Amino acid sequence: MFTEFFYTLRKVGIPVNPTAFLRLQRALSMGLINSVDDFYTSARAVLVKSERYFDLFDQVFAHHFEGVELTDPTGVELAEAARALLDAWLKDPQALADALGIDEESLSKLSPEELIDYFLERLKEQTEAHHGGSKWIGTGGTSPVGHSGYHPGGMRVGGRSMGKSAVKVALDRRYRDYSHEAPLTRHHMGEALKRLRNMVPMGPKDQVNIDKTIYETMKNGGEIEIVFDRRLKDRLKVILAIDNGGWSMDPYIDIVQSLFDYARGQFKDLKTYFFHNTIYDYVWEDPPRRSKPFRVDEFARLDPETRFVIVGDASMAPYELMATDGSIHIEERSGRPSIERLRSIADTFRHCAWLNPKSEMEWPYTRTITVIREFFPMFEITLDGLEKMVTHLMSKN
Amino acid sequence: MPDDETPRRFTGAAKYVLDEELANIVNITMALEMPLLLKGEPGTGKTMLAHAIAENLTMPLIVLNVKSSMKLIDALYQYDTLTRLNDSRFRDSSRDVSKIEDYIKMGKIGQAFVSPERVVLLIDEIDKADTDFQDDMLDVLDQMEFDILEIDRTIKANYRPVIVITSNAKKDLSDPFLGRCNFHHIAFPEPDLMREIVQVHFPNIDRDLLDAAVNTFYRLREFKEVEKKPATRELINWIRALHADPDFRTKELVKGDIPYLGVLFKKSPDFALAQRYVSRFRL
Repeated sequence: MFTEFFYTLRKVGIPVNPTAFLRLQRALSMGLINSVDDFYTSARAVLVKSERYFDLFDQVFAHHFEGVELTDPTGVELAEAARALLDAWLKDPQALADALGIDEESLSKLSPEELIDYFLERLKEQTEAHHGGSKWIGTGGTSPVGHSGYHPGGMRVGGRSMGKSAVKVALDRRYRDYSHEAPLTRHHMGEALKRLRNMVPMGPKDQVNIDKTIYETMKNGGEIEIVFDRRLKDRLKVILAIDNGGWSMDPYIDIVQSLFDYARGQFKDLKTYFFHNTIYDYVWEDPPRRSKPFRVDEFARLDPETRFVIVGDASMAPYELMATDGSIHIEERSGRPSIERLRSIADTFRHCAWLNPKSEMEWPYTRTITVIREFFPMFEITLDGLEKMVTHLMSKN
Repeated sequence: MPDDETPRRFTGAAKYVLDEELANIVNITMALEMPLLLKGEPGTGKTMLAHAIAENLTMPLIVLNVKSSMKLIDALYQYDTLTRLNDSRFRDSSRDVSKIEDYIKMGKIGQAFVSPERVVLLIDEIDKADTDFQDDMLDVLDQMEFDILEIDRTIKANYRPVIVITSNAKKDLSDPFLGRCNFHHIAFPEPDLMREIVQVHFPNIDRDLLDAAVNTFYRLREFKEVEKKPATRELINWIRALHADPDFRTKELVKGDIPYLGVLFKKSPDFALAQRYVSRFRL
């Protein structure tokens, strides 16, 4: 049962697995699901495991059980829908008025033409309110108020009547907001970065080693012998190089910096440098990039185990990256193209990463991103991207 | 597993306003004997749901608060070696030192398994622990048994507990974990439902105050750039604060004076931001 529904879910990209599907079948055979509403909630709870897919699920559900198409409505379709509404109106004005929340009295005074206009207006309103989503009323001969066929007689809880059938609920697309990646809070990102740890024993011996204590106590014939150890401390060094040049990076500088600050307690050493667009001979320790230059050559003298993280959109004119003297700052003349500098950084620090605020989908359209990615591992600034970066930075080889 | 009692259905509790959808999901999850994973904004009643289920079905509730440093074994049982060592040296207790069983203490999951009746087991904030903990725990909950190595005994669950798991994380849990749970995301309540929730907590609340408070609350939630938006929990505490203040008049809210902002916005940057926004209300 519902195999087609299952495959449609898979086709639109919701990761549903067969086990869950069988479980749904079990629920069906146990007689737990008695209406479309039951099916809607149960199928979602059993099959869909993240609120990000709730919106997609709603669309597929509406498509499957009401024949709503997965496309945006056009003018012709709207007109058709309006005509269908008129038909329904003529058959049973009260039902339609109830379903749409229109006052029957006021409408009954209008002529059919006026009615069509009125419905068209309403439909346009609806589609706009739904941001061009699925059509909220089915076409092609089906009754536009078909929802009411599924009226839930199910339990009412808390004295509240839902008064909406599952399809209508699905058509509401309440979960639209969750389908986009929600903005990250600092707390979440800080948590992700906390994994960047490299623990070694440090400091005074003030921690009891239970296993050793038991062992030594046994060896001592039961006379308690407590064994202390040094605490584990992180010795990881991190260099953060931030592109704070163009306005394109502005929204991200604050969040990136504060998230590394948040995780700072975890690191032995965190240095921050700034650059514009790409790195030439110098990076700067001060954000205005004026008073404290730092020679890029000197990076070679630092601990190669340092984690080198560049934050930037890596988007610039190709010559800025490839040409000698490519810098757009006139005073910044260098004998070597920036791409060589970046390569040498990637060679010096085997644990390096580039964090890019642009979404991964956009990367192939910017030439310089493609070039830099070839030798510099690049990650998105999202929770997933951060996780991947941390895994990459902490990998042994 | 002995489970011969007639299946009971969950219909809500005295202090919990349940929407139909969620009631449905809870019932189906109980019938399928699967854990229910709940996500949603903090303060939308994830934890409260477990309390409500326990209250409604008159089952005892066992809460496992997950901590980041937690190992699975802590949730199952504890072998109290220290007491045993103490007893063996000083012999001043009634326990039998040669019987290790006397020194095994059940953890929260263990308690749920050995309980003589069916219980509700709430595993709160699972996302705090690492993925290994999560996967291992689901293994135990799947098989409904675990071994106590020290005394070589297998603990089997008397009754399969009703398991509710909550998570605040934005990122998804691991796939094997999700595969074994049913999932629901508690959306933020609409104003109408919110009114009802408030009324459940304050049965005698003044109609005007209720409207004014809920309206103001939803306006406050619309502030941009606030990191932690006020949720149901904050609203309830806020109304409690308004009630406690003898000088408070409902008119102030309508005019745009909002006292006790600190109850609603708990992070200091959020609070400062909210104050700036609110000062514009009065114009």
